[in-house]
Amino acid sequence: MTHDEALAMLDALLDGELAPPEAREVEAHLMGCAECARVRERRLALRERLLHARNAITAPADLRRQVGNAIAGSGVTRFRPRWRAGAVVRIIGAAAALLLVASGGWWMATRGAAERELQSELLASHIRSLLPGHLTDVLSSDQHTVKPWFDGKVDFSPPVTDLAAEGFPLIGGRLDYVGGRVVAALAYGRRRHLISVFLWPASSPSSALSVPSAAPALVTRQGYHLLRGDCGAYTCWLVSDVGESDLQELVGMLRPSGSGGE
Amino acid sequence: MESTDHRRFEELILPHLDAGYALARWLLRADEDARDVVQEGALRAVRAFGGYRGGDPRAWFLAIVRNTAWSWRRKHRRDAEWEEFDDELHGGADPSRDADLDRLGAVEQVHAALGRLAPEYRDVIVLREFEGLSYREIGEAIGVPVGTVMSRLSRARKRLEELLIRSERSAR
Repeated sequence: MTHDEALAMLDALLDGELAPPEAREVEAHLMGCAECARVRERRLALRERLLHARNAITAPADLRRQVGNAIAGSGVTRFRPRWRAGAVVRIIGAAAALLLVASGGWWMATRGAAERELQSELLASHIRSLLPGHLTDVLSSDQHTVKPWFDGKVDFSPPVTDLAAEGFPLIGGRLDYVGGRVVAALAYGRRRHLISVFLWPASSPSSALSVPSAAPALVTRQGYHLLRGDCGAYTCWLVSDVGESDLQELVGMLRPSGSGGE
Repeated sequence: MESTDHRRFEELILPHLDAGYALARWLLRADEDARDVVQEGALRAVRAFGGYRGGDPRAWFLAIVRNTAWSWRRKHRRDAEWEEFDDELHGGADPSRDADLDRLGAVEQVHAALGRLAPEYRDVIVLREFEGLSYREIGEAIGVPVGTVMSRLSRARKRLEELLIRSERSAR
């Protein structure tokens, strides 16, 4: 495959639109081509920027009202009151569910508060990573580049696996500070979405990081899912706006026995 | 519309109003147009809701908003100045055109740069990055072969990168 051919197919590769044989040919060329690598990084940065810009837009409140009125005026009777009532019921329902989860004794409540604090930090870190230029400290889909990068920066060697063939391309890695310690964070892609994977040794001395096993493994906050997984010797947290099933699938592959999906 | 349909519409479609508005902002250059299009799109969605047969409600609503934006563009002849757009003819940098991108926030810079893309470039970016359609689906939506989708999307991204780089330079 010539350079021009590979470059012309680079977007299709990043979009997951190439058949495996073609994808392998383009990837083989990418390995030794500095120009293609630059284009690839620019494309990933652009995608990240677009994603951030898209998520930053919300409909103005008065537009929401106008739409409500317009629909009401179109013959949909008692539309808005029910819309509001429905929302209130849903909020109360969600609050009740949270209360149920949070209750269960003072001990659990205290542990729960620590875990919620941890979740807030993880979510904040994930959202921060969506801002332009914040996603990764080391931008590479090559696990052999990302893994050594962590050497000397954290006191453990996080497992790093590219799962592009399974539909979760590795985008890069970064350091983060949560629960009172430096942790490793990996960024994986999933279709147009990003998944942050936070990792630290399961035997961490920090009490904030050794979480109660009775707490629910999946929580949803501000439209993001947070999933606590068991990644062998590591505790891992996955944060993303992708569906729960995608997160479960990824955590299954991060577990040492299931890594590589073989 | 039956009352059970009302409730389903509220629950399934209205949560995606933000996404619909953002999509319209990407497709149309003026915010006022985006507002009108979302309103019109929501009305179309209400009328068409009887024909909604399950599937991803977000994708269903966004496709309606997108089609509304396209017909709006045709009707109001917005973007007419871009109809002759050609990279070969317009590839050169014109610093005066970039002045309006100066000192905008990162998000606004993206919107401004999208607004300066030719509509056919903007459309493939939106269909791919916003609606998440496959090349085949994009080809069906705009009526071109998959190979054209691939090359057009590649050119569109390159052009968008150039616009963003230039806007960053002029902001410095």
